[in-house]
Amino acid sequence: METSFAITGKDYIIVAADTTAARSIVKMKTDDDKIKVVSPHLLMSYSGEPGDTIQFSEFVERNLRLFHIRNNYSLRPSAAASWIRRSLAQSLRSRKPYSVNLMLSGYDVTTDTPHLFWIDYLGTMTEVPFGAHGYGSYFALSLLDRYHNPEATLEEGIETLKRCIDEVAKRLIVSPGKYIVKVVDKDGTRVIEI
Amino acid sequence: MATAAVYSSPGFDFSNEIRNNFLASKGIPLPKATSTGTTIVGCIFEDGIILGADTRATEGPIVADKNCEKIHYITESIRCCGAGTAADTEFVTNLISSNMEMHALTHNRKPRVVTAMTMLKQYLFRYQGHVGAALVLGGVDATGPNLFTIAPHGSTDKLPYVTMGSGSLAAMAVFESGWRKGMSREEALTLVKSAISAGIFNDLGSGSNVDACIITANNTEMLRNVEMPNERVQKERTYVFPKGTTAWKKEEVRKLVVQEEVRLVGEAMDTD
Amino acid sequence: MSIMEYNGGSVIAMVGKDCVAIASDLRLGNQALGISSNFQKIFPVTDRIYLGLPGLATDVTTLREVFRFRVNMYTIKEEREIEPETFAHLVSSTLYERRFGPYFIEPVMAGLSKVATGGFKPFIAATDLIGCLNFAKDFVVAGTASSKLYGAAEGLWEPDLEPEQLFETISQTMLNAVDRDAYSGWGVVVHVIEKDKITTRTLKGRMD
Repeated sequence: METSFAITGKDYIIVAADTTAARSIVKMKTDDDKIKVVSPHLLMSYSGEPGDTIQFSEFVERNLRLFHIRNNYSLRPSAAASWIRRSLAQSLRSRKPYSVNLMLSGYDVTTDTPHLFWIDYLGTMTEVPFGAHGYGSYFALSLLDRYHNPEATLEEGIETLKRCIDEVAKRLIVSPGKYIVKVVDKDGTRVIEI
Repeated sequence: MATAAVYSSPGFDFSNEIRNNFLASKGIPLPKATSTGTTIVGCIFEDGIILGADTRATEGPIVADKNCEKIHYITESIRCCGAGTAADTEFVTNLISSNMEMHALTHNRKPRVVTAMTMLKQYLFRYQGHVGAALVLGGVDATGPNLFTIAPHGSTDKLPYVTMGSGSLAAMAVFESGWRKGMSREEALTLVKSAISAGIFNDLGSGSNVDACIITANNTEMLRNVEMPNERVQKERTYVFPKGTTAWKKEEVRKLVVQEEVRLVGEAMDTD
Repeated sequence: MSIMEYNGGSVIAMVGKDCVAIASDLRLGNQALGISSNFQKIFPVTDRIYLGLPGLATDVTTLREVFRFRVNMYTIKEEREIEPETFAHLVSSTLYERRFGPYFIEPVMAGLSKVATGGFKPFIAATDLIGCLNFAKDFVVAGTASSKLYGAAEGLWEPDLEPEQLFETISQTMLNAVDRDAYSGWGVVVHVIEKDKITTRTLKGRMD
């Protein structure tokens, strides 16, 4: 089952998403990257209806890129999140709404603060210190309630993330095998191995 | 379109319908709106009309408003009692009131009750009962006193005494036994009050106080809360909590008065 | 399961002596799963009007945007701030416009309205999801804990409470009501509006 986590730390956000692409009961792919770099300091992890996820994430990516080209600066995380939320809320009122849940993780370079937004396909949006989507969220959120530390270093953050992954692997019946992990901080985004 | 428009097109906006049907298809039923499970009445007397209403508004089993107003203004000498979906009775009477004022201005005459009745029934018929307003319309015009009921689907009745709403049966029982042709003002008001009281005490959807409105050829008298048989008694004791009962974590004060402090810097000027 | 209970959340407003208070819980849930304990449902509209929007969370944000836009347009056109009574009708009409495809929100508003003599008069109002206005003289409630809030407020509220007393009354009403509601809670925020200042306090509440 699709699962993703995101954890904010002192000056970074770690995002993890499973890499399985499933169709019915079959695993079609085990190296699917479901975390898109939508602008220099913005990561978007997404899950949901297979076609919609690609279509919507590319739509977001290109619109944020267009904004950057036109204005020569990127949208800040909160502004980007508002725009994405509105796109989803508008889509919900159309004949075929996008069925995409996402988390937007961004590093605001103007204030040097990390921001994490939890957004679902209805257009529900809230800023959170940590978040999760999918069945993994039922295990990860309670775990993060206990172990999350907003002042943690990157190494400590990764340790907490590993706890989440291990817990899901241990308790969820159909747990995903592999995860891709990305970090966003003042230097931009990068993939990290765990 | 979720974007708000300043000059939006008139009439209802159905854009959420698709989304809500989508949500409903996922097994989520539409929630209930406030309705006025009501007792409303009207009766003709010797020189005019008396309208009556209770003042309870309900939301399912909950009393949402204990003292709401159900006798709506149409024109100076035409009033309308509303039962059914509360928002619909409110907006439909407001709309027709505006249109009646425009009608009066364009024709330079005092508008008639039948005009209001026709406007209301045509509007309600257009919406095939989806605008859930059940109305008692009464007033005095050039043709004399007029009293109508208008059902949500747009059908109308013209009768000397009428009742509507969930308490209509209780109220009608009172009218059937007590109404006579050519009653005096006092007799009619007493009858209306007891008809509404029958609804208040025998129908769960109706309650609280009695509102009445007496319309005659040259005067309209709105008797708000003419009877209050269910007033709340003084509480036996107070429940004011001592300061500091509630523990709070954070306080923020937004001052609306900008404070400025003027401080003299250096020696005061020698003014001797 | 009703759509009004999908995300959970409740709001209450109360009248005091020359002041009003409005309070909400801070939970955002996905049915039984709690997502956020800092989801604001009350928004300032003008200096002296606060608006609470309990209901479906996506519509909380959407309506907040709609009202901010419409109030800004009003302010620009009229060259004055909107009055609470006028704003209540703006809310009502905005919701009734979508009579046959409503937003799943039951707004609650609290504010102080200007009177001709120069003072301020407490004002509270609430509407249902299609915009039926309810002007109350004591208190108004909405949200998943509304049935409990009615009971608690009916017992605790009394006329002419001073700002500090009103804060205690509304806080205790809210805290005790949301403790009996599974979908509301996870912290409470209270705003007390007076003629010269607005005091916002975050309460210590149960986190279960």
